[in-house]
Amino acid sequence: MNIYGYKCKKCGTVHYPFRTTCKKCGAFIFEDKADRYQLVPLSKEGKLLTFTRLRSLPGDFDVPELLLGIVQLDDGNRITGQLDIPAPKLGMKVKGEIRVVRQEGYNTHRGIVFEAA
Amino acid sequence: MREVFVVGIGITSFTRLEYPLAEIAAYPGMMALKDSGLSKVDQVYVANMGGGRVNHQTGLASAVVDQLSLAPAGAETIENGPASGASAIKTGFMAVASGLCDTVMVIGAERMREVNDLESTDFVATLTHPHAEYIYGVTLPSLAGMFARLYMDKYKVTPRHLGMVAVKNHDHAMDNFFAHLHERITLEGIIDSPEASTNNPFVADPLRFYDCCPVSDGAACVILASGDAAKKTGKPRIRLAGVGQATDTLAVHDRKEPTDLLAARGAAAAAFKMAGFKPSQVDVAELHDAFTILEIAESEEVGFFKKGEGHLALEKGETRLGGSLPINPSGGLKAKGHPVGATGVGQAHEIVLQLRGEAEKRQVKGAKTGFTCNFGGFGNNVVCLAFKKEG
Ligand SMILES: [Zn+2]
Repeated sequence: MNIYGYKCKKCGTVHYPFRTTCKKCGAFIFEDKADRYQLVPLSKEGKLLTFTRLRSLPGDFDVPELLLGIVQLDDGNRITGQLDIPAPKLGMKVKGEIRVVRQEGYNTHRGIVFEAA
Repeated sequence: MREVFVVGIGITSFTRLEYPLAEIAAYPGMMALKDSGLSKVDQVYVANMGGGRVNHQTGLASAVVDQLSLAPAGAETIENGPASGASAIKTGFMAVASGLCDTVMVIGAERMREVNDLESTDFVATLTHPHAEYIYGVTLPSLAGMFARLYMDKYKVTPRHLGMVAVKNHDHAMDNFFAHLHERITLEGIIDSPEASTNNPFVADPLRFYDCCPVSDGAACVILASGDAAKKTGKPRIRLAGVGQATDTLAVHDRKEPTDLLAARGAAAAAFKMAGFKPSQVDVAELHDAFTILEIAESEEVGFFKKGEGHLALEKGETRLGGSLPINPSGGLKAKGHPVGATGVGQAHEIVLQLRGEAEKRQVKGAKTGFTCNFGGFGNNVVCLAFKKEG
């Protein structure tokens, strides 16, 4: 499984998350969708840009704390995700995989979780 | 464009309030009418973020205009996240400046404590990107925590600096009857002593309990008027001289430099440009310190200090009452409280009090210019206001 970025067919900029208009060249990505952008799987490896250990969680999480981080991916994109790393450090190498990240009632959300590489 | 003046103000305590939302909202409206001597207005704007979700009340402005028996005045509810308050003031400014209205009442109101802390945290977290942030459990404190870690590393800001913001704003709030927290704290108690980790546990590290604002109910009001309408009230000539707004990416990771707050920078620059004065000429400011780190970062982005030097000014006491540029004399969001939709109007209320010379024990002596920064989302939508005492 992958998380996909949206590559503008006009200028090549990869957007994550999706946006209807290219931030770089202004192309209307959403117009005739399939024709204007290409789905590209984002890299799952990169380095940890920043993180936090969150102790006050929305009610649907039944864990006492959650590690969240922003990762600078090797392909130049950035992503927010959860961390499964006992003692994270700024700049460390990480590797992600897709797991269940949140269960809201019957609604299961999958997303990226990073471990130390 | 016509000039716009503030002719009436009112506020409730920012705390837990056991009244229906529409009554909380109406109360400062009533006080502001009394303050201005007006008995009616052309238009009412009500800033609110959570009525529909937290209080099961939508279309709040219709309820408030009726509470105040101001019908048939126009009435609209304005939602722009935590910047709803200043957005409503900006809308009121446009209504008066354009000539559409002569008098406009702007109320900000929120009743968040009708639900528990977990629910209110989740409600505010709906401001984040639904797919790229929210599903991971990202909340506003976690975005602030990630921002703080990067910022502190880059600019050599320490936990003691964050603590100094909290201590200062708690001290300021001691002289504000309407503030949520009347609790004097010390660096010893929250940072330096062995008990500090118990007194001041991590919420989203490196941010601790005393780095985060409380969850508050409350409301505030300002009445705006054209030059002629203002003259008739005989109130001090406090002019809303500049309004500015700017936006940034919704997902924080999508920003080129995650430690820059470009929306705050842009909104401030626009407000100063319209007002015709510089950041260095500001006598008193209210910044959006929902988290202590934000007061430091915003004090740089709006132009008071160079990037990376806000904490040095703080250290020297420049931003304390009595310093060269007092920031958050009201106690700020940190200690005055943060009823989200009301906050921006509460900030304007404080600046008007200061420019009128009515701030009593927390008065900034001789203040003639004031500035507010109301920060929505995690910096994706910011509204700044510049005020000037005329004559
Ligand atoms: Zn493009």
